[in-house]
Amino acid sequence: MSAAIPSVACLGVIGRNNNPLHISIFPSYDPLANAFTPIRNPLQFSLLLSSTIDVFDLRSKNSTASGDYGLLHAIDDRLAAYGFETNTGVRMVCIVDMRGRRVEAGGSGAVGPSAAALGAGGGGAAAPSMSASSLGAGSGGPSSLAGSSAAAATARSAVGSVGAGLRDAELKPVFRAMQSAYVRLLQNPFYDPDEHAPLGGKGGKRITSKKFGDAMKRIGEAWTPGVTTL
Amino acid sequence: MDGYPLGSLDHNVPLLVVSGLSSSHDQPEQPPKAKGKANGEGVLLRSDLPPLEGKEASFLESFFERVNERGKSWTVMTREEPYRVRVKTVGRSFTLPPRRATLPETIEPLTTAPVLHSPFSPLSPSSALYPDGLMNAEWIRKHQEEVPSVFICFHTLTSDLKTATLQDNRLKADLNGIRATLLESGYKTRLVVIILGDQEARATLTAEVIQDRLEYIRRGTGLDPKSIFYIPSQDTQVELKRVMDSILTLLYNTAIEYYRDLGRHARKKRSRGIVPQPTLPPTSGTSQTLSLPDWNFRYEFKSAIFAEFRQEIDAAVRSFEQAYEILLGQDVLDIIPSWSPRWNEARLLADIISIRCLRLHLWMGQTSLAVRRWQAHRDRIGDFVDRRGRGTNNYGWQAWESRWAMVMANLIELVQVPGLGPMTMTIFLPPEKALFGERLQPWELLHHTGYWYRIAARHLGARRALALRIPDDDRGAPDASPASRVASKAIRYDTYMCPPPHEEYPLNGTGVNHAQLIIDCLLNARSQFQARKQHRIAAEISLECAREMATMKSWNEVLAMLRPLWEDKSFRSEWWLDISEDILWVMRRAAAETGRADIVVAIDWELMDKRYTRKQNWHYDLSKSLDGVSSTTKPFITISDDLASSFVAASFAFRSKEGRAGETCLAQLSLKSDAHQVAAPVTLSSIRIEFEGHLKPITIAHDSSAPSTNSLGEPTSVSAVPLTERLPESVKEGDEKEDRDEDKDQVGVDDGPQNQGNEKDAYLTGTCDLTLKPGHRRVLEMDIPLREPGQVSASRVILTYKADAYELDYTLSLSELGKLGAWYVHGLAKPRLSRPDGHILQIQPRPPKMKLALVEPMDQYYANEPIPLRISLLNEEHDAANVKLDVRIVGKTIPRFRVDAGEHKREVDAAEEESQVTGLTLGRVASSSSMEVSIYLDPAPAPTVYDIEIQADYHLESDAATPIFQVLPVHLNVVNAFEANYDLMPRLHPDAWPSLFDYEDVQDLTEGEVIPAKGLAQQWCLVCHYASFATEELDVVGLDLLVTGVTPGGRCQVVNQPEFSADGMPVAPQKMYEARFDLVAQKATLDDRHPVAIDLAFAVRWRRRRQRQQQQPTDGESGTVNVTTMTVGQYMVLGTEPRVLASVLHSSPEQAGLVRLDITIENPSSHFLTFGLVMEPSDAFAFSGPKQTTMHLLPMSRRTKTYRLLPLVRGVFIRPGLVVRDKYFQKVLRVIPTEGMKIDKDGLLVWVPLAPEG
Repeated sequence: MSAAIPSVACLGVIGRNNNPLHISIFPSYDPLANAFTPIRNPLQFSLLLSSTIDVFDLRSKNSTASGDYGLLHAIDDRLAAYGFETNTGVRMVCIVDMRGRRVEAGGSGAVGPSAAALGAGGGGAAAPSMSASSLGAGSGGPSSLAGSSAAAATARSAVGSVGAGLRDAELKPVFRAMQSAYVRLLQNPFYDPDEHAPLGGKGGKRITSKKFGDAMKRIGEAWTPGVTTL
Repeated sequence: MDGYPLGSLDHNVPLLVVSGLSSSHDQPEQPPKAKGKANGEGVLLRSDLPPLEGKEASFLESFFERVNERGKSWTVMTREEPYRVRVKTVGRSFTLPPRRATLPETIEPLTTAPVLHSPFSPLSPSSALYPDGLMNAEWIRKHQEEVPSVFICFHTLTSDLKTATLQDNRLKADLNGIRATLLESGYKTRLVVIILGDQEARATLTAEVIQDRLEYIRRGTGLDPKSIFYIPSQDTQVELKRVMDSILTLLYNTAIEYYRDLGRHARKKRSRGIVPQPTLPPTSGTSQTLSLPDWNFRYEFKSAIFAEFRQEIDAAVRSFEQAYEILLGQDVLDIIPSWSPRWNEARLLADIISIRCLRLHLWMGQTSLAVRRWQAHRDRIGDFVDRRGRGTNNYGWQAWESRWAMVMANLIELVQVPGLGPMTMTIFLPPEKALFGERLQPWELLHHTGYWYRIAARHLGARRALALRIPDDDRGAPDASPASRVASKAIRYDTYMCPPPHEEYPLNGTGVNHAQLIIDCLLNARSQFQARKQHRIAAEISLECAREMATMKSWNEVLAMLRPLWEDKSFRSEWWLDISEDILWVMRRAAAETGRADIVVAIDWELMDKRYTRKQNWHYDLSKSLDGVSSTTKPFITISDDLASSFVAASFAFRSKEGRAGETCLAQLSLKSDAHQVAAPVTLSSIRIEFEGHLKPITIAHDSSAPSTNSLGEPTSVSAVPLTERLPESVKEGDEKEDRDEDKDQVGVDDGPQNQGNEKDAYLTGTCDLTLKPGHRRVLEMDIPLREPGQVSASRVILTYKADAYELDYTLSLSELGKLGAWYVHGLAKPRLSRPDGHILQIQPRPPKMKLALVEPMDQYYANEPIPLRISLLNEEHDAANVKLDVRIVGKTIPRFRVDAGEHKREVDAAEEESQVTGLTLGRVASSSSMEVSIYLDPAPAPTVYDIEIQADYHLESDAATPIFQVLPVHLNVVNAFEANYDLMPRLHPDAWPSLFDYEDVQDLTEGEVIPAKGLAQQWCLVCHYASFATEELDVVGLDLLVTGVTPGGRCQVVNQPEFSADGMPVAPQKMYEARFDLVAQKATLDDRHPVAIDLAFAVRWRRRRQRQQQQPTDGESGTVNVTTMTVGQYMVLGTEPRVLASVLHSSPEQAGLVRLDITIENPSSHFLTFGLVMEPSDAFAFSGPKQTTMHLLPMSRRTKTYRLLPLVRGVFIRPGLVVRDKYFQKVLRVIPTEGMKIDKDGLLVWVPLAPEG
């Protein structure tokens, strides 16, 4: 039996003037074709990113001090947009495909790295805070202490069921990594932030730095629920 | 929600039937044949009593109608709501559905008596469910609409006592009849009687009588006391409503009880655990009957519905979920073959149960649970359809998916989920408390309906895509194809709640209009997003809508949908290029189809920009823009950069930040084409640059013959454009223009058109090659003549493009603040960044070369002297000038002054604060010649400060248009030349005092003109110490003491003052000088006892020394004597107090220093006074005279006592120890010294001069 787990479908950086600075698109698993393809086309991802600006604006009135907006909105039952705003008004958006990846939950030894990470998260050994909720649904809640095999089983069942959701906090590493990549970009003396979002102006250029793009690519591919550092 | 059978999803609330309110609702008397022919007769409840009439009846009818309407609502029933019921009003008769189904007539008579079942049961052959159907909506409808929980009869209580018993008996019989029919039918419907008392009953019948009669009726009919109500006639309808409300609240409980009984019955049947046998074993079809799990499903479903009737949400959810599990379990749906119609029926039931569960969850506020339930149902059904049905990869599944999303949206709207309305601006709800800490899917937070409609639209799109893939064989009508094919089609296509393939996408004919369905969905979604200010997502939906409309070829709608997006520049202004590009292409197509040339051209202009991805096979040529666009006339199109962005970037820069009027300034206009490389070069026909401020617009026309400065190779070409200035023809001469300007200033804003006309006339023109190649930057360098001072900024540039099919004016704004002005140089591609705001030029006024100067200014000007100022004008311009002079003086008080410029003179009177002479024509001043103007100010009475501004307005004869002015400010500080302080000292008046008794001096008062003073006289000496505060030495030619005021009755005159020579006395600055004036004060008569106040002024007559020396020979004004008058102040003299004056008289030299000291005591009072004099001996002198004596003084008299002193010392002051004491008051009088004496605190001092030599 295989189970779908969330993956990053798109990472976007939106400038101060609501202009797109960077868009990275990641393929999702398509069970019909048994292949990885992006779930939407680039134009649709652009539209998705721009639609998050509305939510940022709507929420900015009572925004959190940290700039972490958490879930902005879910576009449908598969895609959900999470957001983060730096104190300079640069917005980072992560669009998560809730069924973007597939893990073989049958054999515990033969799964990929992402499945292992998930199992660790669900099992409660690495992140106890997460285990409580995922086990809460099943009857084996208290038994998680008893043995790791029981914990793994419950984790699998949690993944298999619809309730294998996502917490806002699980996206924090993504934003942290995106922000540090952006900071590294700003440290580049040849990068002029005003060129990309002129003060009081409109629009702005997009980020062309290859290093930044690679960093985004790495973040988007490496993230999976339960990952704490990227 | 439309596709589900009527009544299957209604919010179930107790049904009440109200009879006897009006006859209009009476059912037709015919038995319900259409419905129940096979099922047998229904149960008819009827009464012969006439229905109620009148106001109250009609009010009650409308009241029940409102209650019924409320009962249909899907909102949650709160605790505050006392009841929610559906009410059916009928006349006096009502038919209940038959309880038992009849046997079909075709069946042969059976040997045994058949066991008959309900007509809705699958056991009855007449039922649609027979023999193996599970359940249908008919059954729910029966309970919701046909079988009431309470049957209410309205009757009246007659007040006519004669017929009362008869009427009551009839009522009793009637009720008994109904009751018997109900009992017989087997329905457990409660019977309730409501008796209305009329107005008369209230008046004539006592409560006891009514009570008795009601009791009689109740007993006679066997009703329990809770089922009979009496409503006395109410005064107001509000009262009646209140009473009815409370009755319905009571009845509501009865009704709930009724449904509880039914639910209990269903549970009881389930717990029996047996499969009931149908009335007749099935003979046709599969001959299959329902199994035990099927029956259990039925019972669970029924108890769930009854729980919902009772509003017991928890119980309803529990039963529904059990029914759902049974249905989707392995015993029910799993064994139904997918080709059977029962398969779809079972799916429908699963849907109905899920929808009802969702609604219950939403009622309980379990929004996240509801979404989870929604997803679970979809996944489960999807799984089933994949495993057992026709798979999910067909249009039928997508149709259901979109239906399922719509169901959720409709539910949210109908249930009115709190906190999710458009006003709350919430996008999604937080999870309910029960799920708070859980890991939730993001979608499990209930989002507003816009999202749900959008999902529905998405699935509709997928449905269309799949429908379009239906092979042609399946698209034909079924009668046209062989039966086997029809059968295969039935197997291959999922037609659950959607049309079969030949209707979905027929070979010929229209079929399902998917686009319209999608648009409807999207518009619903869009209004939701717009209401929550999610404008971007709304715009995205508009775009999707437009694409759908484009597939339907309704181009006008496409334009209407996209035009707002295009106009408010959404996405474009924020540089979402791919999105805006998409919008632009869709819109261009629509505009081209509808013949909107302006939009087509504007979009083409925009799409030339290489920021957008290049479309293959597109011409990118503006001249071909309107190819294929039908247009009757040649359009003239005007667009600006705030509507459509441009592939031409324009910037304007002045070479320098400041310029001067009358000079020229270099400026550059740079036009950069950012078009695609493949695009055709654009040749503009002209360019017009407009400015804000006093600079005329520049028009540059295209001239292909102009030498092309460089080839294609260089990315930047700089070409100098010579400008020719065309002055407005109406203005010919400078003077005229000036006059007109003045006029304009006076008239103000009114003459706008004229002004504009002038501006239109005056402009600068030039020609240049205006072809813009892609990626090429063309820089036009111009030398602009500057005329008027002020700030000038380039505001916009208008590019005119003329094609064969149209003309275009494109306006670009140049006034972008903070932009760095770039300056291009020949041969260099990169500009030099010169400065921010390069498009702004500060034009300074033309520098004046007229020199204004003061001739021989004085170091210092003094008060009380006339001030002459001489000003010289020296024209250093290269040309003769016409000059006018303005003189403006500001100060506290401005004296009269005169401006003298040869033949032109002007005088201005004294004024406060400010005074001026304007526009004094000086005439023509030739180049490098000079002219002198004098200003004379009258003497200032006191020190003051003047600010004088002398302004020369002129214009050169060669350039009359440019006004020039030069200013000379002069600051005059006028100070006092002298300051002085004063001392008034008493002296002994030499004359004898007049006697009171001197009759000889008495004169006739009527005779004399001037009456000589007869009163007491005193002599005083005023000592003035004055000093010059001037900066130079002055000549004082005279000093005067002026008596400016004396109290009436007194006289005062100066008897002695210092004399000066005609040349005067030089007075050095800052040095003290002394002057003494003697004056005599006298009263007119002796009778006057009042003291006299005298006011004195000290006047210095002086003149400037240098002035005299230099100007005496030439000018009569020399030696102008100025008089500076200083007030001394007021002194009181001739008081009535006695005083003692000491005077000293030195003897002649031969008498060897003998000194006579006279002590004079004056008694101006009218009392007799006695004084004691004591003279003490001293070492410094010897004296003769009384050592101690007494003096008596009569009123108005004075006496003198003389001492002779022989000083023993020389050259020092001696101190005679003289004490004068008033004998009566025992008060020592001060001895006042006169000339040659002084006084200190110890007493009198007398100067003894040195002995003469020899």
